Amino acid sequence: MNLKTSAWLVAMLFISDGVHDVYADESGPAGVEFFEKQIRPILVEHCRSCHGEKKQEGGLRLTAHEEILKGGDTGPAIVPGEPDDSLLIRAVGYLDEPKMPPKQKLPDADIEKLRQWVAMGAPWPESEAPSASDREKKSKGFAVTAEQQSWWAWQPVRDSTPPIARNIEWPQNKIDNFILAELESRGLRSAGPAERAVWLRRATFDLTGLPPTPEQLDAFIADVSDVAHDRVVDRLLESPAYGQRWARHWLDVVRYADYHDGDPKARNPVCEPLEAWRYRDWVVESLNRDLPFDQFITHQIAGDLLSSPDGTEPYADGLIATTFLVNGAWDRGDADKEKLVSDMVDDQIDTVGKAFLGLTLGCARCHDHKFDPISHEDYYALAGIFYSTRMLQELGTKGGEITLQRRPLVPNDVVERRNQQVMQIETLNLQMAELDKLSPKPADDDPRRKEIIERRDQLQKSLPPEIPMALAVSEGGVPGGLFPGIQDVPIHVRGSYARLETVVSRRMPAFFQGEDTGSIAGGSGRRELAAWVTSQQNPLTSRVIVNRVWQWHFGAGLVTTPDNFGLLSEPPSHPALLDWLTVRFVEDGWSLKKLHRRIMLSAAYRQSSVVKREQFDRDPENRWLGRFSSRRLEAEAVRDAILSVSGQLDTALGGPAQADVAITRRSLYVQTARWDRSNFATLFDAANPDSSVEARTVSTVAPQALFLLNSGFLLDQAKHLADRLVHDVPTDSPKAETARIQRAYRLLFCRLPSDEELDLTREVISHGNSSGTNAGWVDLAHVLLCSNEFVYPD
Amino acid sequence: MNDFTSLNRRELLARSGCGFGLLSLAGMLAADETEHGSNPYAIRPPHHEPRAKRVIFLYMPGGPSHVDLLDPKPRLATDNGKPLPFEKPKLQRTTTGNLLASPWRFTRHGESGIEVSELLPGLASCIDDVCVIRSMVADNINHTGAALQMCTGEQAFSRPSMGSWLTYGLGTENQNLPGFVVVSPAAVFQGAQLWASSFLPSAFQGTLVRDPNNPIANLGDPASSLDHQRSKLDALRRLNEIHQHERAANSQLDARIASFELAFRMQRESPEAFDISRESETTQKLYGTDNPETELFGKQCLMARRLLERGVRFVQLFDAPANNAWDQHSGLRENLPKRCRAVDQPITALLTDLKMRGLLDDTLILWGGEFGRTPTAEGNNGREHHPFGFSMWMAGGGIRGGMVHGATDEFGWHSVHNKVHVHDLHATILHQMGLDHERLTYRFGGRDYRLTDVHGNVVKEIIM
Repeated sequence: MNLKTSAWLVAMLFISDGVHDVYADESGPAGVEFFEKQIRPILVEHCRSCHGEKKQEGGLRLTAHEEILKGGDTGPAIVPGEPDDSLLIRAVGYLDEPKMPPKQKLPDADIEKLRQWVAMGAPWPESEAPSASDREKKSKGFAVTAEQQSWWAWQPVRDSTPPIARNIEWPQNKIDNFILAELESRGLRSAGPAERAVWLRRATFDLTGLPPTPEQLDAFIADVSDVAHDRVVDRLLESPAYGQRWARHWLDVVRYADYHDGDPKARNPVCEPLEAWRYRDWVVESLNRDLPFDQFITHQIAGDLLSSPDGTEPYADGLIATTFLVNGAWDRGDADKEKLVSDMVDDQIDTVGKAFLGLTLGCARCHDHKFDPISHEDYYALAGIFYSTRMLQELGTKGGEITLQRRPLVPNDVVERRNQQVMQIETLNLQMAELDKLSPKPADDDPRRKEIIERRDQLQKSLPPEIPMALAVSEGGVPGGLFPGIQDVPIHVRGSYARLETVVSRRMPAFFQGEDTGSIAGGSGRRELAAWVTSQQNPLTSRVIVNRVWQWHFGAGLVTTPDNFGLLSEPPSHPALLDWLTVRFVEDGWSLKKLHRRIMLSAAYRQSSVVKREQFDRDPENRWLGRFSSRRLEAEAVRDAILSVSGQLDTALGGPAQADVAITRRSLYVQTARWDRSNFATLFDAANPDSSVEARTVSTVAPQALFLLNSGFLLDQAKHLADRLVHDVPTDSPKAETARIQRAYRLLFCRLPSDEELDLTREVISHGNSSGTNAGWVDLAHVLLCSNEFVYPD
Repeated sequence: MNDFTSLNRRELLARSGCGFGLLSLAGMLAADETEHGSNPYAIRPPHHEPRAKRVIFLYMPGGPSHVDLLDPKPRLATDNGKPLPFEKPKLQRTTTGNLLASPWRFTRHGESGIEVSELLPGLASCIDDVCVIRSMVADNINHTGAALQMCTGEQAFSRPSMGSWLTYGLGTENQNLPGFVVVSPAAVFQGAQLWASSFLPSAFQGTLVRDPNNPIANLGDPASSLDHQRSKLDALRRLNEIHQHERAANSQLDARIASFELAFRMQRESPEAFDISRESETTQKLYGTDNPETELFGKQCLMARRLLERGVRFVQLFDAPANNAWDQHSGLRENLPKRCRAVDQPITALLTDLKMRGLLDDTLILWGGEFGRTPTAEGNNGREHHPFGFSMWMAGGGIRGGMVHGATDEFGWHSVHNKVHVHDLHATILHQMGLDHERLTYRFGGRDYRLTDVHGNVVKEIIM
C-alpha cells in the first residue's frame, strides 16, 4: 500500500457522516474516489455513447480531463469550481440548449453529484493517459510490484537442514526441530506428551472420523514396542474409513454437493448432478490407494484426456474425476445463457485457483487483481481454456433448464449394442400391440405371437446392464454459447460478456507460468494447465496441499488461509518447516499417506492439549504449537461417532447419497443438497457447497443442543447404546452396574470413569424414567452422548 | 479452523474490513464480555442511530405485476393491443406480444392520494403509511438469479442473505429465539440459498419454518417431561464441569454448556412465541385466519408479529402455498386476484396491528418479489418476467409514508426517474437499521465482502 492510499484510509477512518467531511481534501484521493464512484458511472452510462472514443457529437469528448476542459464546439464543458458557469451543468440541468442527455433528463441526484463534482474542482485520476485507448492503457497499467515480486509464496520451495534444538529429548522426528526452535526462541515450552489413550483417540478420529474401540485401545496400551505409534498410524491409513474421512475434507475444498434440490421427488434429472456421487467415491478410493496427489489433480482438470493405465477405453476414473469441473452451483441455469456460461467458467477458474494453487484467480474477472500479480488479461487467457471445454450437453431454451453433460463409462460398442437392443425390443412391443389390435385377436399360442415373445426374451436376456454415466467434460466448448469450439476468447470488460475487447491467447498466468511451461499445442489447454499446476517448478501446488493437510491435522494451517497464499494472507508461522515438508512430500512422490505419517508421528502431534491458563495465555491461538489444540468434531464425525458407539454404524463404501439422516450409513452418504440447509450437517457447520471452503467455522448454538436433546435420531441411538451396554455386561448386580458404566466410558471416551463420575452416573441411572426398558441406561447413554468430552477429543 | 465461540472476537476483528469496522468492533468486544464471551447472537451496537430495530420482508415469489397493482399506466389502456413503440431490451426470456391494459381499476386513496389497484383495498386503506417505490431495477430475468439478487445482492454465486448480514451486524434482542426466521410453507426456487449465511458463520442463517403448526425442529421430546429432562441436564452439566475443570482455558467448552441451558429455555419459551392460538379471537380474525383464502398468510403474518414483538431481528415471509405463486405467465385475470385476496387482509392487519402496538415506528416492512411483469402480454392472459422497472413498497422504520418514489416510463417498461436498484434498496435497509452498508464487511477468500458488493446508494428521499 503506498503512502497516498494509506493516508486516504486513515482519513476515511475518522470521517463522520456527510459528503463534505469525506471529500474535504477535494483534489486528493478522496476527490478521485468521488469521481470514480459517483461521476464516472454517470458519464459512462449517459454520455459516452455520443461523447466517447468512437463518436464526438458537437466535437465534445468526455473521456479525459483535458478533453472536458477543452470542451467541444461551444467551448469548455466545465469551469472547475464554478458549476453555474459550466456548460455541462447547465445542459444536464435542462437550463440551456442543448439539453443533455436529449432523450431523458438525468435523475436529480445525478445532476446534484455532477454539480458537486465541478464545485470540488472536477477531480480526475492523474494516471489516466488522455487519449490512449483503453486497451493500451490496460496493458501498460498492469505491472508487477517489487513487493509482489518478492512475496514468499511465489519463491521456489527451499530445502533446509532442520535447526538444532536445545532439548534433544523431545523431538520424535525432524518436524519437531522446527517447532522446538521456534518455541525456544520465544521462551515457550511444550505442554508435554498426551496420555497414550488420548493420542489414540485423537489419531483415530483424525484419520478415520471414528472413535477407537476398547479393543483397539487395549492392544495399543499393551504394545510396548518403539513402533507402537507407527503401527497404529499404518493400521488407520490402511482402513477404508481413512478415505471416507479425508474425502470429506477434499469435498469441502471443491464445493461438492450431491444434489441441488433436497427433495428426491422434485429433482429435475437434466440439471441435477445425479451422478456426482461417482466423483465422491473416486475421491475416497483415490485416497485409500494413495494416488499421488499430482495425478489426483491432473485427473480432476484433464482426466477425460488421459488414457487408462490398463489400456481399456473409456478411462472411467478419468471421466469421473472431471465432475470436479462441473459440479458447481448453477442450479437450473439462467435465462441469460451467455452469462451462465461465463459464470461457469468463472467458477472453474475460481475453484482451480483456490483449491490447487492458493490463488484467488477469480478476483481478476472484472479488473486486474488488486493485490496479487494476476492481470485481467491473465484471467481471460485462462478463461479461454474453460470456454473451450464442454461441460453442458445443452444450454437449453431461453428460460429453460440446462442439461449437464453425461458420458458413458463403458465402451461405445456396448452403448450402441444396448441402444440397438432396446430399440429392437420396442419394435417387437409395437408388433405385439399390432397383433392385439387385429380382430379376431390372435390366440396366445399363435405362432406369430410366440415368435415375438421368443425374440424379445432373447434380447432381454442379452441386454447389457443400464449404462453407467458420469458427469464429465469433453473438449470443445458449449454448443450454442458465445464461444463454442476450441478458441481464444476476448477480455470481458468489467467481466461482462456483452462488452468484449481484445482476444487473448490461451496461456497460464504470465507472472506464474515459469520458463518450462510449454505453449498450448492443440485442444482446450486443460492438459497443459494440469501439467503447469502439478509441475515441480510450480511452488504453489505442493505447498498448498501440504499446508491443507497440516491444517486438517492440527486445526490451523501454517498459513492460516489455505485457499489464499496471496498478499492479503498472513505469511506462514513456520516457513522453513512448510518448505521442508513440501520438499519431502514431492520426494515421496506426492504421497499423502507418507505426509500423514510424518506429521502424526511427530512429538508436536503427540502433545497434550490440556495446559494451565498462564501457558495458554502466552499463545492463545497456539500459533507456535506448544500444545495440541482441542477442537470439536465436525458434523459428520459427530454423527458417525454416535452411530459407532451405539453399535449401529454401517461402514459400507460408496453409492448415491440418501436424504434421511436416520440411516445408519456414514454421514458421507447422507446427502448434501444446495437448496436445503435445514439439515443435521449444516446445523453443525458443514461446508457451504456453493464455493470452495478452506476451513469450517465452529459455531455453538442452541439448535445444536436441541437436536442432541430431542431429535428422534439421538433418542434412538441412546436406546441402542443402552441396549449395547446391557448386552455387553449382562448380569444385574452392583458390580455389573460399575462395569457397564466403565464400558460406556471406554466406548465413548477411551478411559475409565473417576469415582466422582461413577457416583454421578449411578444417580442418573437411578433417576431413569421408569416407563421404558433400561430407562436409566437410556438416560445415561443420552447424557454421555451430549457431553463435551464426547465431541471435544483432547 | 475458524471458531465462532471463544475466538469469535479475534476472528471477527480479523475479518471485519480494514479498520472501517472499528466502532462496531469495539462494541462487539463490550457485548461479548457481558454475554458469556461466546455468543454470536449477542447484541452489537450499530454504526449510527438506527431508525428501525427489526425488519419484516413480505416476499411474493414469482414476481408481482407492478402495472396491475401499484403502478397505474393509462397508456396501456389507450394503446392496448398495440406494439411497444420502442425496442425491447436484448435480455428477454421469451418474446412477449403487444401491450396489455390492466384489467383492474386504480383509484386514489388517503390524504396522499396515491393510486392503488382495486385488487389491494386493504393496502389502499393504509397507503398514507406506505412508501411506494415505482422505479425498482434488478439485473436478472430468471426467478433463481433474480430472487438470489433480491435476497443476497448477488445473482449467480452464494452470498450471505440480508437477514444474515443484519444478525451478523447487530446480533438479536431475544436470546431465547432465533434472530432470523423464515416462514415458507412450500419450497421456493433456490430454497435455502435465499436465507443462507453462506460464508458467514452458520449461526447467522435463517431458521426455516415450513409448517406454521410445527415451527421449530427438535423442540420437545414428547416422551420426556421437562422435569425429567432438567435432571438429565443437571447431570450433564456436572459431568461437563468435571471435564472442564482441567481445561479451564478452553472457553468453547463453556459456550457449549451454555448452549444446552439456552436450548432448555428456548424449549420452554419459544413454543409460546410461535403459538398464534394465544391471540384473541378478534386479532385472529383481523388477520383472516378464519377464512380459508387468507388463513395461511394470515397465520404467517400473525406469527411474524409475535416474533417481531419478542425481539427477532429479521423475519422473511414467503407467500408460498406452492412454488412461484406470483408467476402469472398465464391465468393473470384469475390468479392475480386470488393471490391478492390471500395476502391483502393479512398484510393490512399486520400494518394496523403493529401501528396500534406502537411497533410500526421501529419495524421496517418491505413488500415485493424478485421483479415485476411485462406491460406486454404473454399469450392473451399473462405477463412475462420484468426486472427493468417494477414496484415494491416499504413502511414503518423511519420510512416516509404516503409517498411515491421514482417512476417508470408511460408504459411501465423502464424505470426512468430516481431509479432504485436492488443494491440501493439493501443499502437503505441497512441504513435504517443503523448500519453503513460500506462498513458492514466480512473477510472471505482474500477480500472483504458486503451485502451491496461495490454498489449501493442509500435512497435518502424516502427516509424521514
